[in-house]
Amino acid sequence: MGSSKKHRGEKEAAGTTAAAGTGGATEQPPRHREHKKHKHRSSGGGSSGGERRKRSRERGGERGSGRRGAEAEARGGAHGRERSQAEPSERRVKREKRDEGYEAAASSKTSSGDASSLSIEETNKLRAKLGLKPLEVNAVKKEAGTKEEPVAADVINPMALRQREELREKLAAAKEKRLLNQKLGKIKTLGEDDPWLDDTAAWIERSRQLQKEKDLAEKRAKLLEEMDQEFGVSTLVEEEFEQRRQDLYSARDLQGLTVEHAIDSFREGETVVLTLKDKGVLQEGEDVLVNVNMVDKERADKNVELRKKKPDYLPYAEDESVDDLAQQKPRSILAKYDEELEGERPHSFRLEQGGMADGLRERELEEIRAKLRLQAQSLSSVGPRLASEYLSPEEMVTFKKTKRRVKKIRKKEKEVVMRADDLLPLGDQTQDGDFGSRLRGRGRRRVPEVEEEALEDEEKDPVAQPPPSDDTRVENMDISDEEDGGALPSGSPEVLEEDEAELELQKQLEKGRRLRQLQQLQQLRDSGEKVVEIVKKLESRQRGWEEEEDPERKGAIVFNATSEFCRTLGEIPTYGLAGNREEQEELMDFERDEERSANGGSESDGEENIGWSTVNLDEEKQQQDFSASSTTILDEEPIVNRGLAAALLLCQNKGLLETTVQKVARVKAPNKSLPSAVYCIEDKMAIDDKYSRREEYRGFTQDFKEKDGYKPDVKIEYVDETGRKLTPKEAFRQLSHRFHGKGSGKMKTERRMKKLDEEALLKKMSSSDTPLGTVALLQEKQKAQKTPYIVLSGSGKSMNANTITK
Amino acid sequence: MIEVVCNDRLGKKVRVKCNTDDTIGDLKKLIAAQTGTRWNKIVLKKCFSLKDVCPVGTRFLRTTCLWEIMKSMMG
Repeated sequence: MGSSKKHRGEKEAAGTTAAAGTGGATEQPPRHREHKKHKHRSSGGGSSGGERRKRSRERGGERGSGRRGAEAEARGGAHGRERSQAEPSERRVKREKRDEGYEAAASSKTSSGDASSLSIEETNKLRAKLGLKPLEVNAVKKEAGTKEEPVAADVINPMALRQREELREKLAAAKEKRLLNQKLGKIKTLGEDDPWLDDTAAWIERSRQLQKEKDLAEKRAKLLEEMDQEFGVSTLVEEEFEQRRQDLYSARDLQGLTVEHAIDSFREGETVVLTLKDKGVLQEGEDVLVNVNMVDKERADKNVELRKKKPDYLPYAEDESVDDLAQQKPRSILAKYDEELEGERPHSFRLEQGGMADGLRERELEEIRAKLRLQAQSLSSVGPRLASEYLSPEEMVTFKKTKRRVKKIRKKEKEVVMRADDLLPLGDQTQDGDFGSRLRGRGRRRVPEVEEEALEDEEKDPVAQPPPSDDTRVENMDISDEEDGGALPSGSPEVLEEDEAELELQKQLEKGRRLRQLQQLQQLRDSGEKVVEIVKKLESRQRGWEEEEDPERKGAIVFNATSEFCRTLGEIPTYGLAGNREEQEELMDFERDEERSANGGSESDGEENIGWSTVNLDEEKQQQDFSASSTTILDEEPIVNRGLAAALLLCQNKGLLETTVQKVARVKAPNKSLPSAVYCIEDKMAIDDKYSRREEYRGFTQDFKEKDGYKPDVKIEYVDETGRKLTPKEAFRQLSHRFHGKGSGKMKTERRMKKLDEEALLKKMSSSDTPLGTVALLQEKQKAQKTPYIVLSGSGKSMNANTITK
Repeated sequence: MIEVVCNDRLGKKVRVKCNTDDTIGDLKKLIAAQTGTRWNKIVLKKCFSLKDVCPVGTRFLRTTCLWEIMKSMMG
């Protein structure tokens, strides 16, 4: 059935597609072409061929150039084919089905309507107009597997294909190898050995041959020599040979070469092979011998040293270090870079004659160094030792005991006796009246006695002599000091006689005593003068102090500690009753007198300066009166002069104080559970009691007449739990919360809290500064830095005012 | 060279010859020449529409195939 349809379709298709005939014609060449591609025995039908074609087209190869790239195509096609073997079959099936359908449709359509089509020429014309290429008639490849002639698709054998590919590859490889071998075949490989190595016979033969050759060579040489001798050329030849021998390198040529190791690194008895150190080709310089192993070792040591990370800079190292040879070696700056900048300077030594080097010079240098080191004196002195209080046994040897002499007690007694006598003449002399006046001058009493003094001074024997005047004593003291000072060092420290120390002690004691005496005399004198003065003053005061000194007095306010205290106390009712007031009587009298005068002054003059004390008193008096008067009204009023608390209470009651009720933050009443309100449900039914009714007043009631003009200024303030005054809105809200028994929800309370916090913050905010307090910080920083500016660079951490500044 | 049959279900059926390496645009031009519509108004469809750029000879098409022409307002 399908086939019949196909046939029908075929016919009609054939009928209609006249142009397809050309297409059909083109079927042949492709097939032909297919045959040409003998490699592809399997064409896989037109579809696969088409596929191939399409695939090749996909690679951009046109059918026209298909012949050229036939192989490429084929290969590509082969690959592609392997890939999608399943597809073509599917496609074929689908296409066939589709084809059938469409052909049917087409046939139906063609039967019904017109399917206009142009001929090739017309189409070509059209294409030329449109600017397209003309139709490629030859290139058409139609499906072989059309409905008209289903052709069995050639079987594609992938295995065979692969084998063919491999063969091809192998051939190509073999070809390449052959070529290479031809090129390289001329070179003898290692594998091709001389035959005699393996075979002993061959080897023997070869050795024999060599021997023969040697003999021949010798003979020839002999012949030549003879010939030379004959011709007299032998001497020349010998000379030549001599030269060559001389040119040979020997140990003496090593003289002067440097070896770049420390001479100490070579140990006796060991053989070390030295080689020439690597040098650049164009480098001109001496040859240097090194041993490779030693070089490596040195480098390793150096690296170890570097890795130890010794401190580059020793801040407390001395500027100049003394070298071993007692030469000063100044420390250069950044000494660690010297090696990098100037280059390494390794230890080296030169070979001497005969290529020998012994470390003689070095050893000598070492000896010198050691010697100098021994001689060296270090500047660091012996460190501080703990001072011991006792002499060590070594020092005890040097310490000699002093001999004790008999004390001269008599001298002391004599001195004492002398002092008492001294006093008497002194006492007479002081009543002269000239107590150190300036007229006399310092240290001189009277003219006649100057000579005496001078004599005394010169004598330098102040021990037993009493000083005539007070001031001269000082001089004497000085002299004696000098004497004493002189006395001590003159005596050797070893001989410290007991009596001399005693003498000194006595001298010092005497000095003290004398000073004390003088002081007492002075005091007496002074006190005497004082008394005289006071007496004078009293007299003067009593006489005319009111006239002369009153203004002075008035101007001069006398502060007395006791008087002040007493003033502040106020009136003491029990004053003067104890009878213990004799001492203070004088002063109190004075005060009283002052007061009286002051009072009088205030009444008459009214000056504030004078009456300042009295004003206060009056105030106090007034206050006291005040308190006294209040006692009359009600007996409940407290007596204020008992204490501060009473006074305050009174004031409060009177309304003189402005009291603010401080509400303590109490726990907010939970809104959920309404606490039992402070209310009582009035039971109106209770009025009907018999007895309670009687109690009722049914009379005429009237407002109090006294309270007529009473208009209280009622101000009701509402507060919230923190004590803030509430606005009417907030107050109402609070009220309604209480009324309804529930408060705001979460959001509302949060908002309220936030608002309250903000208000608090606002209040806390300083008016003169930013909220972060930057101005304050700025000032602090400036204070710390002591500059009028601030440097803004650097990290923020340094901007803290707490940084330590110099 | 293949022949493309195009049908627009309204009575116009056209067989157009073109190269396999022509693009669909060229094919549309040819169709337009034969049908009398503008070429950019033609949409070739089967269950999917074809783009202008691809050559006619792609795998999706067959040598002799029928495509429906759809005239689109776009273009």
